[in-house]
Amino acid sequence: MDNIDTVSTDILIIGGGPSGLATSIHLADALKEKGLTHRILLIEKGSSIGSHILSGAVIKADVFESLLPGVDFSEIPLNAKVTSDATVLLSEKGAFKLPFHVPYMNNKGNYTASMSQICRYLAKKAEEKGVEIYTGFSVSEILYKDGKVIGAKTIDTGVDHNGQQLENFQPGTRIEAKLTIFAEGTRGSLTKMLIQKYKLDQNKNCPIFSLGVKELWSVPEGNIKPGEVYHTMGYPLNLKEFGGGFVYGLNDNKVAVGLVVGLDYEDPAFDTHDAFQAWKTNPFISKFLKDGKLVEYGAKTLPEGGWYSIPKLYTDNALIVGDSAGLVAMPALKGVHLAIISGMLAARTAALALSRNDFSESVLSQYESSIKESVIYKDMYPVRNFRQGFENGLITGAIHFGTQLITGGAGFFGKLKTRPDSETTKTLAAFKGKPFSERFKGKLEFDKVLTFDKATDVFYSGVGHDEKQVPHVRFNNPASFDTINIKQYGATEQYFCSSEVYELHTDKNGHQELRIHFENCMHCKTCDIKSPGDGITWSVPNGGNGPDFQNM
Amino acid sequence: MALTIISLIKQVPLPSEMRMGEDGLMDRTKAKSIINIDCQFGLEAGLQLKKQYPDARLVVCSMGPRSFEVALRTAISMGYDEAYLLSDRKLGGSDTYATGLAISTMLRHLGFTKDAKEPFIILAGRQTSDGDTAYVPSQVAENLGIPQATFVESVNADGKGYVIAKRIIEGGYQMMKLPIPCTISLTPTGIPPRKPSLIGAIKARNLPITVFGIDDIGLGTEKIGINGSPTIVVNVVNIVSERAPIIMSVGHDDATLVNNLISNFNKGSNVVAKKEKVEKKVSEHPDFPVVDIRNGAKGILTWAETANGEITRPSIEILTPARNLADQLGNDTKIMTLLIGKNVKHLSQTLFEYGSDEVIVVEDDRLEEYLVLPFSSIFAQVIKERKPEIALFAATTSGRELAPRIGVKTGSGVTADCTGLEIGEYINRKEKIINRPILHSRRPTYGESKLATILGFVYPQISTARAGTFEVPPGLIGRKGIESTFKPILTGDEFKVEILKTVRGEGSLQNLFEADVIVSGGRGATSDSLGLIKKLAETLKANGVNAEWACSRVVVDEGVAEYAHQVGQTGKTIRPKVYIAVGISGAIQHLAGMKESEKIIAIDHNPKANIFHFADFGIVGEYQDILPELIEQVKGGFTFGIVPVKK
Repeated sequence: MDNIDTVSTDILIIGGGPSGLATSIHLADALKEKGLTHRILLIEKGSSIGSHILSGAVIKADVFESLLPGVDFSEIPLNAKVTSDATVLLSEKGAFKLPFHVPYMNNKGNYTASMSQICRYLAKKAEEKGVEIYTGFSVSEILYKDGKVIGAKTIDTGVDHNGQQLENFQPGTRIEAKLTIFAEGTRGSLTKMLIQKYKLDQNKNCPIFSLGVKELWSVPEGNIKPGEVYHTMGYPLNLKEFGGGFVYGLNDNKVAVGLVVGLDYEDPAFDTHDAFQAWKTNPFISKFLKDGKLVEYGAKTLPEGGWYSIPKLYTDNALIVGDSAGLVAMPALKGVHLAIISGMLAARTAALALSRNDFSESVLSQYESSIKESVIYKDMYPVRNFRQGFENGLITGAIHFGTQLITGGAGFFGKLKTRPDSETTKTLAAFKGKPFSERFKGKLEFDKVLTFDKATDVFYSGVGHDEKQVPHVRFNNPASFDTINIKQYGATEQYFCSSEVYELHTDKNGHQELRIHFENCMHCKTCDIKSPGDGITWSVPNGGNGPDFQNM
Repeated sequence: MALTIISLIKQVPLPSEMRMGEDGLMDRTKAKSIINIDCQFGLEAGLQLKKQYPDARLVVCSMGPRSFEVALRTAISMGYDEAYLLSDRKLGGSDTYATGLAISTMLRHLGFTKDAKEPFIILAGRQTSDGDTAYVPSQVAENLGIPQATFVESVNADGKGYVIAKRIIEGGYQMMKLPIPCTISLTPTGIPPRKPSLIGAIKARNLPITVFGIDDIGLGTEKIGINGSPTIVVNVVNIVSERAPIIMSVGHDDATLVNNLISNFNKGSNVVAKKEKVEKKVSEHPDFPVVDIRNGAKGILTWAETANGEITRPSIEILTPARNLADQLGNDTKIMTLLIGKNVKHLSQTLFEYGSDEVIVVEDDRLEEYLVLPFSSIFAQVIKERKPEIALFAATTSGRELAPRIGVKTGSGVTADCTGLEIGEYINRKEKIINRPILHSRRPTYGESKLATILGFVYPQISTARAGTFEVPPGLIGRKGIESTFKPILTGDEFKVEILKTVRGEGSLQNLFEADVIVSGGRGATSDSLGLIKKLAETLKANGVNAEWACSRVVVDEGVAEYAHQVGQTGKTIRPKVYIAVGISGAIQHLAGMKESEKIIAIDHNPKANIFHFADFGIVGEYQDILPELIEQVKGGFTFGIVPVKK
């Protein structure tokens, strides 16, 4: 321990997404206002800011006016303002444009955007305000002292698959902080530990997620107008599966397409990537992509448990913000503005704590009470039961949603519970639905023009991992993995993973094993969420590893 | 007396995103950048030395645009202490000669001279991915007048003021003992570079980087930049692959797949449809006066490299382009070959038979093994006396350090790793003259995707030629030539570097050039340490086929095989009748080394592996399952169409 380097800071922010960056910017502003100077360190595991950022995205942009007062709005690298917005019901070949907006789905006044770009812009602003940003460093460990968080440590590099030190071993750096802010994004690996250690999820619903896969295309002029926005329902999902597709027209003849699927589905062979490819073959969608070129691919999970799944967001010396806190408003699936607001609220609390030099719960609890008075509450509380209502499919979900609209979100059944996504997958024996391969018969041969296999798509995410390191995905119980995950669930991991990390290998003698190609990992964390049995734990790989998103 | 370790690094575009400017020079504005991989290994070697010398000062230097500061800061975050950048617009377009001169001038300015009181070691990468010459470290060493070791895999200090380096040579390695100060260039096969640490990054953020312009270090403009460099790039064209589409084996089990492969192989590969060549528009040939700038220089000088008492094959190969060039020059141009060693005189006759007109013999007991310092000195003395217009070397590990070191002595530019050598002209539109005759050296560059033509204006024009590219000339038994001896003046200083041990393994390089069938394993074939790869090669050999095993770079990197078995990257093109690529993804450097093979068979579990785009026949499957089947077939008499030689 003696030879480990230690850095001291006042504030440590783990994660350089919208919430972490907003925290740093607003805190720097608040401190300046109070005439205080404190060190703010922000650590991002991606090789650069934005490289691990993916979002649809249609965002509520007015939030930037409060985050960056005095900044010319046109300076913010938003994409096109939404010009038309429609919800379309799809069948395999058909499309029906709904003549009305689904409640909460109106995007008037919103903007399409690349969150990678916006984050790069925010990082520049943060650095101008004195925030120290370090990219390409993975924080793998929370540091505790006397049972309290005192900072975090970056990962040791230069180790082999078993963690043995190699000649080029480089020990991680200890970062001691008065206040550590967890802004790791969806299913944060440290946040998960923090929640477990301090039981921050006590009396809360468990978090549930959906998985979004997205492609960015460059298309011929005229395929779609900038600001033209479509959300689709129906195909390729059935009535029991929650989710839908999106098509966002962007500037410069770019178009973002994607499919978001609730991870509470039952079919162990369900493959979101493949379903997304099938979705693109619907003529309503394919016309936007005609003669176009795939530019980028990526995947991300979204926490959609809603209000009741938000854990307690503070403990002594620590706060949780953004997606790590589960702040996504349903059914619009909007989290960016909430992430930014949570960051700003956390910043105000942090400023207060710094001015009092008190980082205990008694001061930090102010963060949670401020959330209850904010847009976060306003956007999330009325739909607090929305997502749970869909557990048994679209029809009951719609009925629940109808009653919730009348009752201000309560519905007729009070607080609806959630079930972990890992428990909803059925075993091969128990699953009675149409097999996935038959549902999409003829759609799973990818032509590499409109549709792409996973390996090709993964190439378009720019993903890369150091070969020499401890694999960052780990079977929690290798013994039960064979008997439960492979035998009973048919290695559902090979299907749900949209970056081909898991490959089921059958040898000559018929013995099967699940091989891990962690080098393909897009850091969406679906495996940590959806793997049945004893499951899989996702932790951070070496810094700078993972996808290299440019405009996602 | 603290040791200073100086790492020379270059920032290069990420190889996959290489872009080139209109003028054929590197356009560094469009691509993402990294520290050149080999240079990263140099940085790590410095950090390893620091373990032996905890008090050592770690200095990192670079030359290039201001954006190279990013690379320097990365080096700091890995553990370096100080950073210097030589950055000046006037340096733009510098070739290796000019680069070596500029960097060594900066180093001298920083006090790192031959006679400096404080000891220092200069570390560099073997070569850069965008330049690919491997010359600059030698040129820096020569400019500073200090010893060098290039193509070094590992470096240690012996604690008594010497550096022990493991230098990779064809077919093996050498252990060398060098005095301090010295220059070492590192292959990317040693200890991989460490990742930056956060504490290092915090230090790097605040550390000032000293940026020098050429005036700051007292460097004039006459020998640098695009105008001062002795060579220029005149033309760059894309390299297009011309292999016909692959025939994939079909079948549901391993035996069927292999049987299908054999029947496909026997039927023959697809043939590429010949495209009509479009007549290129010949740009107007101006009527300028022709100027011969050779100033009396005449003849072609080559080097006869020896190993194990024989002349190496690449040294004989270069007699092919040498003869072509002599014929093109006409006017009774002679080929002179310099033969250096201990008791080597008797090898002259071989050289005559392959085309040398004169063999200049230098014999000295101290010269039994090649050493760059005395050899370069001998060459400089011979060149001074004989005034050849062209000097050719095989681009072996020795040729690629010897040629640039000589170039610094003669003021010549040196072209690296050429695959084409022709006599042509240079139309100088500015001065309205035509230089003729002039050597056109062609070399693949930018990750083997482009072919550049480079001209030199200082005589002799020096080039190294990629081994395996030129055929061995037809020998003429009994052909006679002139044998002369040369007595060089050598000082004790030139023998300051000691070779402790030379190890040349069995088979390897020479065999790779001569084998009819090469079985090559990549990363995807290492789970049994290439056991099946070697077994297939052995089985073929046992059946009378001249077969050899090889591997891709990663396999060498992982320590599974020796460097000498590596195909791709460093100056080595093989062209067997059949090349069997197993578990090889098809990195561009590997393809460059083997794509001249007559037939290529690819076996890989990944159907999307790049190698399948460059092969004639393919099987998708696990090599552990496919190779045993194939070995059985070979035992049963299948020899890939090669007529077996019964022993």
